[in-house]
Amino acid sequence: MIYALRRLEQLLRGEATALPNLTNDRFDLPVGGLSIVLIGLGMIYGACMGLFSLTGSGSGQGMQIVASTVKTPVLFLATIAVTFPSLYVFNAMFGSHLKLMPMLKLMIGALAVTLAVLSSIGPIVGFFGVSSTSYPFMVLLNVVVFAIAGVLGLGFLLQTLHRMDLANRPEPGRPTEPPPLQGEAQDSPTVGSPLSFPDGRATNGSVWGVFKVWIIVFGLVGAQMAWVLRPFIGSPHKPFTWFRPAGGNFYESVTAQIGKLLGTW
Amino acid sequence: MRQAAFTLHANVLAALRGEANDRSVGGLVLLATLAIAGYGAAMGSFGALYGGSMWQIAFAAIKSPLLIGVTFGLTLPSFVVLHLLLGLRQDLRDVIHSLLSAQVAVAVTLLSVSPLTLLWYLSVPRYESAILFNAAMFALASVAAQRPLRARYRPLIRRNPLHGRLLRVWLGVYAFVGIQMGWVLRPFIGKPFAPAEFLRPEKWDNAYVIVAGLVWRTLFGSGF
Repeated sequence: MIYALRRLEQLLRGEATALPNLTNDRFDLPVGGLSIVLIGLGMIYGACMGLFSLTGSGSGQGMQIVASTVKTPVLFLATIAVTFPSLYVFNAMFGSHLKLMPMLKLMIGALAVTLAVLSSIGPIVGFFGVSSTSYPFMVLLNVVVFAIAGVLGLGFLLQTLHRMDLANRPEPGRPTEPPPLQGEAQDSPTVGSPLSFPDGRATNGSVWGVFKVWIIVFGLVGAQMAWVLRPFIGSPHKPFTWFRPAGGNFYESVTAQIGKLLGTW
Repeated sequence: MRQAAFTLHANVLAALRGEANDRSVGGLVLLATLAIAGYGAAMGSFGALYGGSMWQIAFAAIKSPLLIGVTFGLTLPSFVVLHLLLGLRQDLRDVIHSLLSAQVAVAVTLLSVSPLTLLWYLSVPRYESAILFNAAMFALASVAAQRPLRARYRPLIRRNPLHGRLLRVWLGVYAFVGIQMGWVLRPFIGKPFAPAEFLRPEKWDNAYVIVAGLVWRTLFGSGF
């Protein structure tokens, strides 16, 4: 557990995805341990999101917070499970060298970044949840927070795809032996951030192609998955259910919430 | 005692000038808390001056450090994660120290203007003008603290220009949370002849929804 947490920190600091550590399709990430940490982070955010339901202006049903805590990690893991097969096929089509395991690790890594950002904003969302009476405001605040976390997670994905492409491109003079990844010893400022372009080299065209497909698939599936798994916040006017009946979609609902926020004034 | 007073004075001066020194974080937090509590007491004295309860002074003295401290605590986790992600881990200590000394600067500035607040209360016996004067003092202290904050940040920005952008992000998030926190923790000043209360008994609400509603009604008439 402690080990997995430390690896998460290395991931956030960009050591796990530094160029020398990516050669030969090697992407060193403890999938099992990290998954447990991811579930924990998702639960933290889910609990913060569900706090609104405990207040007088929310649905007032305590089960909502339990449901949100459980459903938030499920949302992310289910999105990965649903998109993985198609992304793998698209990836191969665009001529990427990524094999099955490195790609899974890459997705888990991007998820880790997204969830770390998400749960770190959790206290702010929890505070607004406790102190607000406006349900549309809470919905829109959560949409914005998810968008911020998603953008940073995708930024990590793009950079790591780019670096894997660089690291595996045959080039003379590149050290082929990756140095061993050490715990705290690699605290050198030369390690770039996980979001910056190494050596200022531009992104390869095929990396961009792969990335665009990923954004579209992730965005569409993630939003719809969240819609299917709703409610997360708990509308004040509806009784608690674990799932709502099918129908409607995410985008229509967000537009309606903006309208309602304006309508309450 | 004398020695402690000297150290305290030196620490405050360093925070006001934006000089880096290796004070302990605990000392900074204590200093900011005490100074803000001092201003809070002055702020809460309005009601007591005009026939209200003395309790409001104590309540405001407790709530003011909470306002700043909880807001700071809520914004910290996401700020730390952003620094990790953007590769600024090695500067994190300096960054947090800078932000904390900015809080000290705000707190000490507020404490230093608290006699002015009392004078204002004595000369203008109107609740609305008391609110406006306090808002002006908070604005003044926040603007004034920008100077030492920028001074502390200058070497950081020289090392990596990203720090400048991150600081703006933090100030934005801090204001966003702080305004709602101030709203939730009302009343600070206390209406004259009103009973003292720690928090307003009515339902909490969202400051942004209310202000946006006011603006909307002013511009477009009632309703949407």
